[in-house]
Amino acid sequence: MLKKTLTCTIALAALLAAGSAMADTKDKKIALSNNYAGNSWRQAMLKSWDKVTKPAVEQGVVAAADAFTTSENQVTEQAAQIQNLILQGYNAIVINAASPDALNGVVKQACDAGIVVVSFDGIVTEPCAWRIAVDFAKMGESEIDYLVKKMPEGGNLLEIRGLAGVFVDDEISKGIHAGVDKNPQFKIVGSVHGDWAQEVAQKAVAGILPSLPDIKAVVTQGGDGYGAAQAFAAAGRPTPTIIMGNRQDELQWWKEQKDANGYETMSVSIAPGVSTLAFWVAQMILDGKDVPKDLTVPFLRIDQDTLEANLATTEKGGVANVEYTADDAAKVVAGK
Amino acid sequence: MKAMLNKLARQPWIFSFAAALAVWLITIAHTGGQGAGAILTAALSFATFTIIVGLGQMMVITTGPGNVDLSIPATITLSGVVAMKVMDEDTGRLVIGVVAALGAASLVGVFNYALIRLLRIPPIIATLSSSFLILSTAISYGRGIRIKPPEPLAEFATARLVGIPVMSLAVLAISLMIGLVLARTLYGRSVLAVGQNSNAAWLAGLDVGRTRFVTYVLSALMAGVCGVLLSGFSRGAALNMGEEFLLASIATVVIGGTSVAGGRANVPGIWGAALFMYLLVTMLNTFGASAGVRLVLTGLMIIAVIVAAGGEEQR
Repeated sequence: MLKKTLTCTIALAALLAAGSAMADTKDKKIALSNNYAGNSWRQAMLKSWDKVTKPAVEQGVVAAADAFTTSENQVTEQAAQIQNLILQGYNAIVINAASPDALNGVVKQACDAGIVVVSFDGIVTEPCAWRIAVDFAKMGESEIDYLVKKMPEGGNLLEIRGLAGVFVDDEISKGIHAGVDKNPQFKIVGSVHGDWAQEVAQKAVAGILPSLPDIKAVVTQGGDGYGAAQAFAAAGRPTPTIIMGNRQDELQWWKEQKDANGYETMSVSIAPGVSTLAFWVAQMILDGKDVPKDLTVPFLRIDQDTLEANLATTEKGGVANVEYTADDAAKVVAGK
Repeated sequence: MKAMLNKLARQPWIFSFAAALAVWLITIAHTGGQGAGAILTAALSFATFTIIVGLGQMMVITTGPGNVDLSIPATITLSGVVAMKVMDEDTGRLVIGVVAALGAASLVGVFNYALIRLLRIPPIIATLSSSFLILSTAISYGRGIRIKPPEPLAEFATARLVGIPVMSLAVLAISLMIGLVLARTLYGRSVLAVGQNSNAAWLAGLDVGRTRFVTYVLSALMAGVCGVLLSGFSRGAALNMGEEFLLASIATVVIGGTSVAGGRANVPGIWGAALFMYLLVTMLNTFGASAGVRLVLTGLMIIAVIVAAGGEEQR
């Protein structure tokens, strides 16, 4: 009798241990600290977060996964917000940061309070935090690689950059210039800042276009291809190969051109669903898994033959997207 | 002749036009004359939007010290989003869409003034905080959706008559009307009087409150017009479409020779300033200047023009 009870107890204890190992994070709370929501990419990012974390909370994987966005895209505001999140007792904070170094102080405070900090897209340099970074320079270089294959004879390029002074803009541009240096048959004859916004890009391109020679291709950073196309059309110039950035309006325009005259290009950007990767990474760290501090996410590239499939799944006005599952995240952590 | 030139040189708006002309000449000298006309056409198209909101901002600033409308960018976005969503690519709904967008914009103006008057919040804070509310409304209503405009609206916004954008002619008409209103109507004169000294204006029997109320609604309405045209021009509304117009609207007013202290408006100056600002960026882009250099030079040149224009008529 005693022996049987003992066996039962051991079995029960083993079962409980197994159960708790599976859902070790069920009373952990994760917060998303986001610095900006005013464009379609960020809107998609927040939507993806919702879509993946809601079921996760319902299934008891974590206790909470709340998203917080600051209104003004300012470092001081985000620092104050993170301080609040520390006080509210979150176990992990996932950050899309307004600055790579200005938030380091408050990130350190969070680490010291025993909070797991995972930064993604807009990463922070504070060593105690995890970083899910995108190899933006490689993304820029991949545009030139594509052009080298498409037009080996080379030609004049127009570069549309992003928001001046932002790390991402510098990196992508660096990659593009590195690619051009390796392939001297290409020449960047003009460079404007489009701020990743169609209206701004259109305005800047329309201004510089009259002073430029024939343009063979436009290298971009995303969110600016459609505006560039409008500017070329308005100036009555032939449409060059414009690299797109996965926005629905860009893909839609590409599809229309492809159907009308066989237009060829490619499109590359970061999937906004990277926020969900950050979520799973935070969950894995809370679960006690060993995760390297620096992770790299693959970018999402769309080509001539995958255009239709991606366009079909991209919401009107949105951005082509992939959301990550816990398994996908585990693969990224394991280095694929 | 000399007297005429002297008189011309005393006009505060002449400096912005001179600066615009100089920048244009330098640009085409650099390109060897290539694209001279096309640059002007592009400048006229894009300056049009700045002019529309600049006129509204000018009226607000003219009503006296402290009056400024910081909700212009948010209102542009709201009206663009409302117009595109209500029209939904259907030409038959074009008129309803325009009415809805301008209606929404007017409400913003009413709301702004309510904050300023009823809650006694200073205009700079009132319009800034209302812009958060407006932008949030636009975001939750639009959800980042980019809907194309109906074809007639897009065609109107991009149409040209012998190289001159049709839209800029329409805005020229609006500018002339505002000039007339300022010079000839009771409301326009009240704006100037209130701006010079609101106490004196009140003692003289003018309705200060109503004058300011109408002005804030007018400014929001102009932002609404800008939003509708801009979403036609760039074929779709986006959440950040108004962003760059905050500084632009104020800078055109100041560069154009309108008094920041209020009481003195200058309609032609808005045109000169808007053209100058666009051509300046074009020039620096043509030179291939890096973003940092460009920002520094833009700042320096704006200061130079303001100093040149503001050298006289200080009382």
